[in-house]
Amino acid sequence: MDSLLKKHGNALKNTALILMLALPFMLYAAALHGSILQVKLLMAIFIVNMLFVMKNG
Amino acid sequence: MTDLFFVKWILALSPILTVLVLMIFRNWSGSRAGAAGWFVALITATFAFGAHPVLIAHSQAKGALLSLNVLYIIWAALLLYNVVNETGAIKAIGIGIQRFSGDKSIQILIFGWIFASFLQGVAGYGVPIAVVAPLLVGLGFSPVVAVAVPAIGHSWSVTFGSMGASFQALMAVSGLGAPYLAPWSATLLGITTFLCGICAVHVYGGWKMVKHSALAILVIGMAMAGTQYILAVSGMWTLGGFGASLVGLCSGLVVAKLKIYNQVPPSQTQSEMGLGWALSAYFILVVIVSSGVMVPPVEAFLGQINLTLVFPEIISMKGWVTQAGKGKAINIFGHGGALLLYATIIGFLVYRSRGFYQSHALKTIVQKTIKSGVPTSLGIVSMVCFAMIMDHCQMITVLAEGISRVFGSIYPLVSPWIGLLGAFMTGSNTNSNVVFGVLQQETAQLAGLSAGLILAAQTTGGALGSMIAPAKILVGCSTVGLSGKEGPVLKATLQYGLIITGVVGVITMLFSFIR
Repeated sequence: MDSLLKKHGNALKNTALILMLALPFMLYAAALHGSILQVKLLMAIFIVNMLFVMKNG
Repeated sequence: MTDLFFVKWILALSPILTVLVLMIFRNWSGSRAGAAGWFVALITATFAFGAHPVLIAHSQAKGALLSLNVLYIIWAALLLYNVVNETGAIKAIGIGIQRFSGDKSIQILIFGWIFASFLQGVAGYGVPIAVVAPLLVGLGFSPVVAVAVPAIGHSWSVTFGSMGASFQALMAVSGLGAPYLAPWSATLLGITTFLCGICAVHVYGGWKMVKHSALAILVIGMAMAGTQYILAVSGMWTLGGFGASLVGLCSGLVVAKLKIYNQVPPSQTQSEMGLGWALSAYFILVVIVSSGVMVPPVEAFLGQINLTLVFPEIISMKGWVTQAGKGKAINIFGHGGALLLYATIIGFLVYRSRGFYQSHALKTIVQKTIKSGVPTSLGIVSMVCFAMIMDHCQMITVLAEGISRVFGSIYPLVSPWIGLLGAFMTGSNTNSNVVFGVLQQETAQLAGLSAGLILAAQTTGGALGSMIAPAKILVGCSTVGLSGKEGPVLKATLQYGLIITGVVGVITMLFSFIR
């Protein structure tokens, strides 16, 4: 896991940034359509992304 | 404060406290600490302040819109800096300045006060300290002085530097416009211009050298503070730091020719690139930003496409209401970041046509921009997002109410210290404004004070925090071989940072009486 992070660390950070900026708009769309399940699912992905940033940001 | 309110207040403070503790005591980066703060905000908001998934979803979308507004400028500024730096122009500007005076106090002022501020105006994010510190070592200054001088000297220009990214963040989170915020901010930052100049000289030569350079500080300080004020209040706040330091550079070169500063002969080192060519990208920038802001037909043409989202009214499970309304709009072609991009592209083409680039320069420029832009952006987005969660769950209002109850009418004395604290913990005036901007605004309103004045004190404190932010000191120390020995530099900058912030607090207090 650590070697994978070391090897692809920069690419993963770039992806994390893109996700951090894209997921909120997907959350907004899901919330506006009243799809709570989608909101919860997207929140779970957002939380995982934030965990990655907290560990490797 | 009742016991229950105190517990609520501590819980509301916990995300900010988390970021502080992790950055100061555990040496976490801004992005990692910001993400940790986001988790604490999410948990506290859900279990103690009645947040629900839909509320979190909308708050994060607002956060992303705010972040994009700030990141647009940050990425464009970084790209411009790398386009210029890759030609060797930054080095050429340094050599060009050095040819004007051999006087140590003038060298300190021109490099550590003016040129560092100029770099803050065009790049920021630690670049001024990283570039100026090695130049000062090359001129014979000790490494500690070489890092401390630009750290102190550039602080006044941070808010309106980096194409006004910090000021943009302050406007975005407070919802207040430049005409309301700029006059107070430019006034307080104008006063710190002189204080930063005095302290930068004092670090090296004590009061004797301050006395020797008093005339230069007065003349250059008036030129820079005055220019910054005029640019900020006339709507050209994106050029506030850059324009002021450019005028400072011109006045500094004139002052350097005075007899009292010409006892020692200047350096005769030549650079491959002339000063005019080195500065050409910035001249292009001035023309583009001036046209984009001051020529109404151009402004109207560029401002045709604005992206935003409409948010419905959100009510937390505890009954806290966030009004419906539009989020922060992004003016795709007229945004400060867009103007920077136009200047960057033209500047790149000009430098390339003159043959200033090595092969593969474009690839290097892009790589360097991404390398420094991503960590900064991760920190900003995570902090903006947790600030938005706090804002949607009454947490910021609770914090503001507590501070207002304790400090009441003497709050203006405290407000710059909060800005300083924010910049110290996050390494950024922008992040400090994002995290504490709304808190300061609401506290000011509760205490019956001018929000414009208090937010000006916030951003001034945030700007001054740059001189003591470990993140920036670390960058400077790494360029002069002081890695792992940052303590003496931080000790030097800390005392000046605390004194100037104290003075700003007193001045804010006085202004609050006479406004």
